[in-house]
Amino acid sequence: MSLDCREKANSPKKEDVLLGKIKIRMATVAFIAIILTLLSHNTLAYYQTVGKGTNVVTSGNIRFIIHETTDQGNEFPKEGVYIMPGDVVSKKVSIESICDHPFYLRVKIVYGVDSTELSASDCFKLNINSKLWELHDGWYYYKGIVEPGQTTPNVFSHVEIVGANVDNSYIGKTLTLTVNAQAVQSENNPITDGKSYTASGWPAE
Amino acid sequence: MKKIFTVLLACVMLLFALLPVYAANGKVTYSGNSGNFVFEPGGDHSPSDLFPNFKDVMPGDTLMQRINVKNDADNKVKVKIYIRALGAHTDSDEFLSKLGLKVKKSEDNEMAYMFDAAANESAQLSDWVCLGTLYSGGEVNLDVILKVPVELGNEFQSQAGYLDWEFMVDELPIEDSDPDAPQTGDKYIGLYISVIICSLVLIILLLVWHKKDKENGENSEEL
Repeated sequence: MSLDCREKANSPKKEDVLLGKIKIRMATVAFIAIILTLLSHNTLAYYQTVGKGTNVVTSGNIRFIIHETTDQGNEFPKEGVYIMPGDVVSKKVSIESICDHPFYLRVKIVYGVDSTELSASDCFKLNINSKLWELHDGWYYYKGIVEPGQTTPNVFSHVEIVGANVDNSYIGKTLTLTVNAQAVQSENNPITDGKSYTASGWPAE
Repeated sequence: MKKIFTVLLACVMLLFALLPVYAANGKVTYSGNSGNFVFEPGGDHSPSDLFPNFKDVMPGDTLMQRINVKNDADNKVKVKIYIRALGAHTDSDEFLSKLGLKVKKSEDNEMAYMFDAAANESAQLSDWVCLGTLYSGGEVNLDVILKVPVELGNEFQSQAGYLDWEFMVDELPIEDSDPDAPQTGDKYIGLYISVIICSLVLIILLLVWHKKDKENGENSEEL
C-alpha cells in the first residue's frame, strides 16, 4: 500500500525531468541559432548606394571706386563749386580697388559746357601726375598694376581755371569735368615693355 | 644665433610660399554598411561641393582640382565605385558652356581623359563609369582640370555655375582569392561581442543543467 503511494508521488517528478530535458534542448537549439545569426552577419546584406554632389564654379570680377576729394579730405561737392577765371580748385582723384584680382587701369577726363557755341576743353588745366600716369590716345594709363584693395596715387590734385580762355561768354554757364575709368585684369594678360595700354581686353570706346 | 634665426625665418617663409600649392582637395567618402556618401569640403553655394579650387575664376585661368574617392567601409566588403555626370543646372548652362572641363584618374599616367567637354555637358560620363574596386581604406584620385577661355566676356563676371555628379557603390563579398584587406581597429569587435554573448548563454545553460541534475539527485535519494 505504501509502495503504491510512493509510485504515484514519483510519477509527476519524471514528467518534470522530461520537461526540463525538452527545455534544455530548446535552449541548445536557440543557442546554436544565436551563434549562426551572429556569424551570418559577415556574409549577408550587400548594398548599392548612390550619392549626389552638386559642384560649383564661380567667376571673379573687377571692381573699383573713383574717389574725388578736396585738400581737406572731404568728398568733392556733387553740386559743384562756383569758379572765377584764374581759380585753382582742389580736386584729388584716385581709384580704389574693391575686388580680389589685380588689374590695369586707365582714366579719361571729359570736359563739357552747357552751351553748343562754347568749348570747355581749353578752360581747365590739370596737374596730372605724369610720373605714374602715361597719356596714350586720350587715356591716362596707370604705370603699374593696381593690387586688390590698393588705392592709386592721385591722377591729379588741382584744377586751374585758365583765365585767358574763360572770358565773359562763360558767365552763368556750367562747366563740367568728368573722370571716366576703365580696368582690365592683369592676370593671364601679359603686356609689352611695361606699357599697360598693350594689354588685351580694354573695352571698346 | 643670428644665422640660425635667419635660416628658420627663411624656412617659415618658404613654407608659407608653398602653401598655395597644396590647395584643398575634394573628398568623396563611402562610409559603408548601407551608409551614405560624405562630400567634402562643401561651400557657401552647395554643401556637397567638391570644387574648392574653382572659385573666383578669371579668363585665361587653367586650374586643377584633385578629388579623393575613398572606401571607408569595414573589412567585410569590397566596393565597386562608379561615377556619372548629370550636367549643369538649367540656369548655369550658358556660363558653364563657355568653360572646358577634363577629368581623369590621377593614377593613370596617360593623356586619355574619362571626360573632356564643356563643363555644362555630361558627355562621356552620361553613363556610369567604374573608377575601380576598392577594399576597405582603398582610394582613387581624380584630377579635374578647368579651363576658362581668355575670351570670356564681361557678362560672365560674378557668375555661379552648378553641375551635378553622382557616385554609386556596389558592395561585394570578400572572396578567398582577394588580397588581404588592410587592418582596421574595429576588425575583431564583432567577434569579441559574439564570444561574450555565447559565453553568457553557455553559463546560463550550464547553471540550469546543474540545477536540474541536483533536483534529480535529490529525488533519487528520496526514492
